[in-house]
Amino acid sequence: MSQTDMSLPRADLARSARAEARARAIYRFRQSLLSVIGLAIAVFLITMALLAPWLLPYPGDVVGAVNPAAAFQPPSAAHWFGTNSVGQDILTLVIYGSRISLLSGVTVILLALIIGGTLGVIAGWVGGWIDEVIMRITDLLLTIPSLILAMAVAAALGTGIWNMIIAITITWWPTYARLVRAEVAAKKQEQFVIASRVLGVGPMRLIGRHVLPNIVTPVVVKASLDVGFAILLVASLGFVGIGVKPPTPEWGTMLAEARNYMPQYWWTAIFPGTAIFLAVLAFNLLGDGLRDVLDPRTRR
Amino acid sequence: MLWYVIRRLLLIIPTLLGLTVIVFAIARLLPGDPVGLAAGPNATPEVIASVAAEFGLDKPIPVQYWNYLTGLLQGDWGVSLFSRRPVIDDLAEFVPATLELVIAALLIAVIVGIPLGLLAAIRRDGIFDYLTRTVSLGAIAMPRFFLGLLLQLAFAMALNWLPLSGRFPLIEFPPDRITGFYTVDAILIGDWHALGLALQHLALPALALSLSPLATILRMMRASTIEVLQQDYILTERALGIPPWIILFKYTLRNAVSATLTVIGLYVSWLLGGTVLVETIFDWPGIGLYSTQAILGQDFMPVIGVTLVIAMIYLVTSVIVDILQAVLNPKVRLQ
Repeated sequence: MSQTDMSLPRADLARSARAEARARAIYRFRQSLLSVIGLAIAVFLITMALLAPWLLPYPGDVVGAVNPAAAFQPPSAAHWFGTNSVGQDILTLVIYGSRISLLSGVTVILLALIIGGTLGVIAGWVGGWIDEVIMRITDLLLTIPSLILAMAVAAALGTGIWNMIIAITITWWPTYARLVRAEVAAKKQEQFVIASRVLGVGPMRLIGRHVLPNIVTPVVVKASLDVGFAILLVASLGFVGIGVKPPTPEWGTMLAEARNYMPQYWWTAIFPGTAIFLAVLAFNLLGDGLRDVLDPRTRR
Repeated sequence: MLWYVIRRLLLIIPTLLGLTVIVFAIARLLPGDPVGLAAGPNATPEVIASVAAEFGLDKPIPVQYWNYLTGLLQGDWGVSLFSRRPVIDDLAEFVPATLELVIAALLIAVIVGIPLGLLAAIRRDGIFDYLTRTVSLGAIAMPRFFLGLLLQLAFAMALNWLPLSGRFPLIEFPPDRITGFYTVDAILIGDWHALGLALQHLALPALALSLSPLATILRMMRASTIEVLQQDYILTERALGIPPWIILFKYTLRNAVSATLTVIGLYVSWLLGGTVLVETIFDWPGIGLYSTQAILGQDFMPVIGVTLVIAMIYLVTSVIVDILQAVLNPKVRLQ
């Protein structure tokens, strides 16, 4: 310590150590080709979703315009991905669909994180019967297959993007409650938390400043992996006919409709299906990469 | 050991009880008008009232729950609003179909996934390892319904090798019901023609359902094998000159499989939920298709029934997995 103290003031030392750690993390992430591919696809999809209004080749199609004369055209220069049964441009629908999928996927995970995280912190920190009650409800909800639960709730609430988001969130928060509770309960016993408490630090500050920053890593890794699976669940609901209402284009719904026109009009299925696949893949790869960077111990 | 099993099985009961409360609450407290849907769009208020009375839906929710619960214990799982058939009869018909599909998918996943994972671990960082890792990442991200559609497109429509959908040809009679599993029943009565037909219909849906668990089992098996191979005792065995294949099959496999087993157990629940999509795309007459139709019609008795059956299968599976765990690894103590 004394040796470095001579050359650098403490604050600079900490800063350079942090910079070095960050550089190493970026290096580790870039080392993994798959994570970079995941990041690239995710950035591409997010950009596409954000810029969608300016990218759509046939903007009218996303608000329900139909053109029966142009139905079922195979992919061509005018329609890169072909057209569907009512002559809508599939590229347009796929681009716009990215908004629905990404928006709902990210929103679901954020809401689940807020609800599950709060309940998890309460359960893990307070303990006792409150912990018991929260965790038993969590366990029960986790025994119900998420797809069936989400379908049942979404069907009862009716169609619409927000109802779908609520339905999926109901199935998703328990996993975060469980994860956060376990992490909080473990950190609560750590020396540094006990020491701060002995020093008279209040509970809110203890949780906010000492516990939460130390549990961020596993939660962020899980959240980034989960965005992909949430997108998959959104598409699954669309596929079984529950979820977003037409004419709003949604990838799963498009695929369900395309089923009726196989095999002649294969392009109506291949492109939305590939879009779902790529979106899920991107967030899976991204999550895997983040885990390697943030939590090298679990590296496989 | 026996006590442990009995205690674990008894613990399933309060869980199921809690589950009935939650599912019942979800079914009844959410907005939605199941009675109106069942009575039809043109029903008069009198008809709606009589439908509500017929199914006991005019009573307060706690009373409805109590009636449901007491019925459940007597084998009366309620009546479907639409088919007007007892839910328990529907389940008896559809559960074997789903189980047949899930077990077939799990068998494919285990039989292919475990050896491939082992191979990837032995040839760590080799071409085969990279190839399987990349493919399995893709497989996990692949939507089951899209995969099902692609399989149909390739093997049923383009190549015409396998049937497009269904569980058995419509024009033929399935084998006489003994277990409800067409494949098992066909073998039991020795009807090889029916067995062939049943397997042909089973192939594509089972494949579509198996890919994701296969990839997960493969990755898990690879990771746990690598971990086991780094243990000191393996090094000692190498130093003692024990042939590699004996080290692998006698000392590594057993330990590596035990970690993978937990994942397989967890996957049973996932598969039971995941059949919904595969059954939809392949018109497979199981509980997935049944519950989808029930959910779309807000017909909640079947939904509650399906949920309970799935939860029961899941809970029993986790007991079995824990027991197998103890058999494979004597260090695991059942308590």
